[in-house]
Formats: sequence, C-alpha cells, structure tokens
Amino acid sequence: MGTKTILQIDNACIAFGADTLFSGFCLQLHEGEIACISGQSGRGKTSLLNAILGFVPLKAGSITVNGILLKKGTIDQIRRQVAWIPQELALPSEWVKEMVQLPFNLKANRNTPFSLDKLFACFDELGLEEELYDKRVNEISGGQRQRIMIAVATLMQKPLLIVDEPTSALDSDSTDRVLAFFRKRMREGSAILAVSHDQGFAQGCNQMITL
Amino acid sequence: MGTIDISYTSLAIGLLLLLIPLFYLWKFKTGLLWVTVIGIARMIVQLFFIGIYLKYLFLWNNPWINFLWVIIMIFVAAQTALARTQLKRKILFIPISIGFLCSVVCIGMYFIAIVLRLENVFSAQYFIPIFGILMGNMLSSNVVALNAYYSGLKREQQLYRYLLGNGATRAEAQAPFIKQAIIKSFSPLIANIAVMGLVALPGTMIGQILGGSSPNVAIKYQMMIMVITFTASMLSLMITISLASRKSFDSNGKLLQVMVEKKEKKKSR
Repeated sequence: MGTKTILQIDNACIAFGADTLFSGFCLQLHEGEIACISGQSGRGKTSLLNAILGFVPLKAGSITVNGILLKKGTIDQIRRQVAWIPQELALPSEWVKEMVQLPFNLKANRNTPFSLDKLFACFDELGLEEELYDKRVNEISGGQRQRIMIAVATLMQKPLLIVDEPTSALDSDSTDRVLAFFRKRMREGSAILAVSHDQGFAQGCNQMITL
Repeated sequence: MGTIDISYTSLAIGLLLLLIPLFYLWKFKTGLLWVTVIGIARMIVQLFFIGIYLKYLFLWNNPWINFLWVIIMIFVAAQTALARTQLKRKILFIPISIGFLCSVVCIGMYFIAIVLRLENVFSAQYFIPIFGILMGNMLSSNVVALNAYYSGLKREQQLYRYLLGNGATRAEAQAPFIKQAIIKSFSPLIANIAVMGLVALPGTMIGQILGGSSPNVAIKYQMMIMVITFTASMLSLMITISLASRKSFDSNGKLLQVMVEKKEKKKSR
C-alpha cells in the first residue's frame, strides 16, 4: 500500500436547497487503495462523485485530489487528475472504436497516447473479445460496454479512477474479473473510488463506506 | 440593356398565378391556405417598404446613413434569431450582434475594398446589397446552428460531462456539439455550392443578367457571393457560439437554463 494521499475529503456536506443529502463526510484514499461507497438510493453517492469532479458544489467541507484543493480556480486541474466513468454511460458514438478513443483526443491525455495493444490486453483481463472494438455500439451489451469503459479509464493512467456502479450490468464472474483488474491497477499505483450497490464488489475493496 | 419594369397591373396579373397553389392548398385541406395568404400579403407589404427605403438609401448615398442601416439590420437580425431559437436574450443578443457586426464588416469590406477595389467603399449600390445578402445568410445559418448546438448540449449532457470529467477543456467538451451544429447548418450550403449552375441558376446571377450584365461578369459575382456568404456565416457562427458559450455554463461547467421558459414566454406576450 502506498502512502501518498490521492483523495482527501474532510467534513463534506452536500445540500440542494434545504435538502441536505449528507454532512460531515470524511474519506482518505491512498495510492494503491480502492474504496467503495454504498448506501440506499438518494443518499448522495453519485452527488459525492460529482462533487469531487467539481460538477456539484460542496455546502461545507473540502476535497483535495492529488494535493490540489478543489475550488473554482482548480476544477480543471483536478479533472486532469481523474479518469471517470459515470453511471450508465451511453455516449452518442456510433462505433466502439470512436467511443474508446474519445478521451485520448483530449489535450490533458496526450501524454498517455492510445495504444490498441494495451487496450486488447485490458480486454483480455476483463473477458472481452478483441472483435468488439470494430463493432457498432448498439451491437454490444451493457455489460460489455461497462467493461470496455473500465479498460479505457485505466488506460488513461490517472492518479484517481472514479467509477459509478461499475458492475451494475455484470454477472458474478465478470464482477470478479473487474475486481481482479482493479487490484492489478492498484498494485501499479492507482487509487480507485467506486460507488456500488453490489455487495460482492464492495467486499473486495480496501475500504467499504456506507453513506 | 436595362431591366424591363413591371407595371402594377402586370404585377397584379402575375400574382394571379398564386391561385393555382392556393387552390391545391384549399382542395387538400392542408390547413396552410390562410398561413400562405397572410405570408404573401406580408411579403408584398414588406417588399414595398424595402423598395421605398432602398430608394432613399440610394438617393442619399450617405456613408453614415448606410452604416446606420447596417446597425439597425443587425439588431433586427439578432431579434429574429432570438425569436427563432427561443434562447434567452441575455445569452444570445450581445454575442450574435457582435458576431454579425464583426463578420459583415470584415468580409463585406474585404470584398468591396480589396476584391472590387471601389473608391467609395460605402457606395450604396454595392454596400447595401452586399451587406444585405451577408446578413440574410448569416441569420439563417446561425439560427440552424444555434438550435443544433443547444439542443445537442441538452440531449447529450452526459457526453459533455464525460469529456469535462476526464480532463477536457471547456472548448474541447463543446467541440463535438459545435461540429454537429456546423454539419447541420452548412451541409445544405455546401451541397448548393457543389451543384451551382447545374441544377439551378443562382439568384445573384439571374438578377445581374436581368439587370443587363454579361454572363461573364455575373458568374464572377456569383462565385464571390457564395464565397463571402459561406465565410461570413462561418465566422459569425464561431464568434456567436464562442461568446454565447461563456454565458451558457456555470462555473462548474453545468449548462444553464438557456431557453426562454414557457411562463416567461407567456409574460412577454
């Protein structure tokens, strides 16, 4: 386990108007760790992830990613430290290859150029066939799309990987593959923050947090 | 060789041709009969008014008045764009006015001063029709593009956020939506350019030939008209989108409510 703190959340509070989702939330995630946040629907799990990415403002508390304190002027800097897979991601790309290459065309990711060999190695670990790369997005299943996007996110080699419900469309075998895949990435130094209702997945993580 | 004038009696005889389409609109109960009749009546009145004010613009031929006409047309065009896109005034009015002004002045003046090499660049005979055709084309392409841009952003918010969340700059996250807006707005124009002179004879050329110009001169003007309308439309769209986008998102990168809400619309009626 590494010692560098990748994500630090102190006394975070998220509220929409008078409706407080949660308050006093704290989390510390180090290099090589994976944390899973679970809890009932509507507790603010996705909002917390959105807050880390600067999409939702905190009412109180602070978030620090890789030593950068989240504030208005640092939102873009923080987003460059993160690879993110939102819940039920459905991008309007027609082809899988377009969907896969999308984040690699961004300036922020140019120091990690897209590699088809590395992608296929990830596909292999996640139980995906190489032929999927040349298919149309509407020809692949939700579970295949989820695992493809997990592969893409890890290829960006960001200090922090944020995934929302990474196994919602997966069976237990595929979930185990995803966990094994994440553990390998952790050993390589990534920190992973996931939101999941899947108890099997949550139990395989270093930290289990209930919101 | 001048153009043969159309007397008002002849014009009335000419308008009788409209009875044919109006008959079919009525016969097939299209519901378009009165809309068409009102539309035609509006066209006749508007064109008569344009005839009157253009007559005086040409008569005075004063650079200040001509430029004032451009400014008024820009505000009218901006107002029309607001109505056709249903975007909020505070989002669009200033960006589209600046976009139109910069493009029409830069491209119009480039054509008049550098290509045509006119001594008096404000000569009403050139200044008014050139700036008018640029404005009309910029308005229609901007309306289509802005509708496509904002409806795309609303429909595909996940894509916008996904790109931002994975390190995209604002410009990079907006780029796919600008691309779609350009494709939607400029595809018809590009297709039109490609078949120019084959499928249909363009309006500027017909106007010049009817006005007595040789076809040789007319085709050169037509080429330049296509080039300047294409360029000015693209330039104005880029300026408008770039300025409007600054007001369309909050500091977290979230798309604001950019469209006029129904309640607001009712109030403004």
